[in-house]
Amino acid sequence: MGPNTQMPQSSSSSNAQGGDGNGDERKDDNSRFECNICLDTARDAVVSLCGHLFCWPCLVQWLDTRPNRQLCPVCKSAIDKDKVIPIYGRGGDNKDPREKIPPRPQGQRSEASSGGFPGFQWGDGNGNVQFSLGIGIFPFTMFSSLFTFGGERQGPDGQPQVDPNSAQPGSRQHQEEQFLSNTFMAIGFLFLFWLLTL
Amino acid sequence: MDSCSRRLMKELQQLSTEPPTGIICSRDIASDDLKQWRVEVVGAPGTLYEGERFTLQFRFSPQYPFSSPEVMFVGQNIPAHPHVYSNGHICLSILADDWTPALSVQSVCLSIISMLSSAKEKKHPIDDAIYVRTCNKNPNKTRWWFHDDTV
Ligand SMILES: [Zn+2]
Ligand SMILES: [Zn+2]
Repeated sequence: MGPNTQMPQSSSSSNAQGGDGNGDERKDDNSRFECNICLDTARDAVVSLCGHLFCWPCLVQWLDTRPNRQLCPVCKSAIDKDKVIPIYGRGGDNKDPREKIPPRPQGQRSEASSGGFPGFQWGDGNGNVQFSLGIGIFPFTMFSSLFTFGGERQGPDGQPQVDPNSAQPGSRQHQEEQFLSNTFMAIGFLFLFWLLTL
Repeated sequence: MDSCSRRLMKELQQLSTEPPTGIICSRDIASDDLKQWRVEVVGAPGTLYEGERFTLQFRFSPQYPFSSPEVMFVGQNIPAHPHVYSNGHICLSILADDWTPALSVQSVCLSIISMLSSAKEKKHPIDDAIYVRTCNKNPNKTRWWFHDDTV
């Protein structure tokens, strides 16, 4: 529906009128940095990924009001508390906004990329069968591999492993996967049994 | 002053200094505590309601602008419109589920004028009789079902 999306902008209309100089300009400048919710100059300002400016407390209050529909109040695009960008101007209050509750998210600094985390490789050679079993417990596999990463790189037969993430038979990771898949199988059987007895 | 009143104050100031076409701001537009407003809107030229004046009543809860204002037509002249009940209640999505705090008294008024403008015949909703008899006094207590957003 048309009217839902219409946002009358007083600032643009005052621009068109021209006015006589400073008074209008100053007002225009200020309103550009007004929070879209309280209409005051934004304090602890954050900007959403869609580019709309809010006070951090105002935005949090709005998102808490509608936990199921996290939408930008202005353009209704999806919005995420963790994906807003704080704006640090010069001056302003000297208090750390993060001391307030809930804390304003920090600006993100991305480092120049390096090798990073090795990606998953789907079964090569003997790892094949193991992996098709492992898919169901994918998150656990990844988790455990994080911890065993440095420790047990070598299989029991002394062969060096090509891919540290693929589980070799006999390794601790393999045992854990085995244990988990056994557990899941047991749960499956229990469920089947329960169904049959109904 | 609490944030709700601050925001209402700002809206009032803006609306009365530069009211958009179709919105009339009398001097006693708002009550002393700012929690109740009466705004007059005029039917747009070239529409079924051209030149007609209607009064909208706004009521604000302390949660405003995070919760929508309670808005209805009051007075003698209630527009006959497929989304307006004869008791003044308005079925408009931005007054319920689609409310956001970036909306304002002004944008609600403009939406209602635009809603009036798109009517093809002057008629209350089909379920008017039963709704008016059974509804709550507060239109925000109604679970609206926005089956037709094009009118
Ligand atoms: Zn604000
Ligand atoms: Zn937005």
